[in-house]
Amino acid sequence: MKKKSVEERLALTKFEVYSEPHIILQKKKCKVCNSRICISSCPAGLFTLDESGEITFTYEGCLECGTCRIVCPQNAIEWNYPHGGFGVQYKFG
Amino acid sequence: MFEKMKRERKHDVIVVGGGPAGLSTAYFLADKGYNIIVLERGSEPGSKNVFGGRIYSYPLDKYFPEWRKDAPIERWVRREALSILCKDSIVNLGYEINRRLDGYDSFTAFLSRFLKWLALKVEEKNVIVATNVRVDEILFRDGVAYGVRIGEDKLEAEYIVIAEGANTLLLEKHGLRAKTSPRDIAVGIKEVIRLGREKINERFSLRDEEGLAQFLISPVFGGGFIYTMKEYVSMGVIYKPLFNNQVEARDVIEELRIHPHISKLLGDGIPIEYSAHIIREAGYRDLMHKPYGRSYIVVGDAAGLILNTGFTVRGVDLAIESGRLAAEAIEKTPPGEEPTLYMKLLQEKGITTTLKKFRKVSTILSNQRIYREYPEIICQIFEKMYTVDEFPETLNESLKKVVGGKTSIIRLIFQLLNMVRNL
Repeated sequence: MKKKSVEERLALTKFEVYSEPHIILQKKKCKVCNSRICISSCPAGLFTLDESGEITFTYEGCLECGTCRIVCPQNAIEWNYPHGGFGVQYKFG
Repeated sequence: MFEKMKRERKHDVIVVGGGPAGLSTAYFLADKGYNIIVLERGSEPGSKNVFGGRIYSYPLDKYFPEWRKDAPIERWVRREALSILCKDSIVNLGYEINRRLDGYDSFTAFLSRFLKWLALKVEEKNVIVATNVRVDEILFRDGVAYGVRIGEDKLEAEYIVIAEGANTLLLEKHGLRAKTSPRDIAVGIKEVIRLGREKINERFSLRDEEGLAQFLISPVFGGGFIYTMKEYVSMGVIYKPLFNNQVEARDVIEELRIHPHISKLLGDGIPIEYSAHIIREAGYRDLMHKPYGRSYIVVGDAAGLILNTGFTVRGVDLAIESGRLAAEAIEKTPPGEEPTLYMKLLQEKGITTTLKKFRKVSTILSNQRIYREYPEIICQIFEKMYTVDEFPETLNESLKKVVGGKTSIIRLIFQLLNMVRNL
């Protein structure tokens, strides 16, 4: 049984992507953070470490689960829902 | 549509959020003659909602005549299972009931579809359910809620119902709730799989209308669940971010999928939706002491009205009940005053008392041992019990061997007793 990547799974779900991100990282706070729990606990895998060791975030595949804001020990995540009608579109839920 | 509504008339009540609690509150208020508008950020009701897969039907029987005829019921739960999944084995405890359970039944469902149905019921009572509307702020004047802000727009009403769900952004923004602690949440991560009616019936030994609700415990991914729908199966993992997890959240559902037992059941199914949402897990401790204030009231998950008893999880039914009680409290409280009656009703109807009764469960379920140590011990004991070789062991010998490496038998027995006492 082969494992599916998170990208394959996200491709199953429908998104209406808004032109601006609804979640913004205050990267200054991320630089001093050694928890990095956002990376391990995002079910969409949207937090990654780039080559320079900086945390980057992409909002397009956000499942709007709410986890990252709550787990962030630095309060570095400015979290809002996407603009009305945009973002994830669950058909089953 | 929203622009037009805004100009045409002032509403008595604004409901923030078109989930189970918000729509229910609107439904019951409509019967009392209020002008109501429900503001939902999704493009249609249900498009932002996620749950496991089961609804307890008693409040629907009480308040929604004929609901069984048109509600999107998938299957009636007739089989319950609690399963411990170890690396290549599974220990099952099953319960099956072969009759109708009038009055205390539960059914499997898709929440998005269920909410579309509920929204129709609400709209039939002339309530406006405005979609694509994100509420950014509750407006207060001298401590009295008088409206909401939506981008640049303001909308006013005599009463505001806050039904924003488990992720309590607005309540936290206005200091009505402390910032949610990571200790107090889990992330439900779910996948819907198309398997087909025939295969579901055969593999889970069900008839057409019968469904299975299964709880899973695993040393690898923690807690999980399976619910059978008509043609689909919902499978999910309850991920605790603060646990010492072996697998990251993004991949954790794959650990469930590739488990030999699960892949036998679902391996040839076609995944069709991946979803996730936080679950408030702290139980009674998380219940708002004062889920109301002057001209506002908080219902459903946002107020902490979710109950995990260790073997059942209840959310939608409590949301509906809280909506009904909130409507009654609003009716009997003049605008500008505090609807203290709401808390009294929650107590009288046994909701807060039930939450209190099960208050220790969340502590038990947040103990990593339940997932990390006990499942292995139980699987190994069963393996020894059912393995016959030249040197068979008594149960007591196996127990000593299995437990010895991890903890002492006395400690284990003490812990298990303590657990059972609190469940």
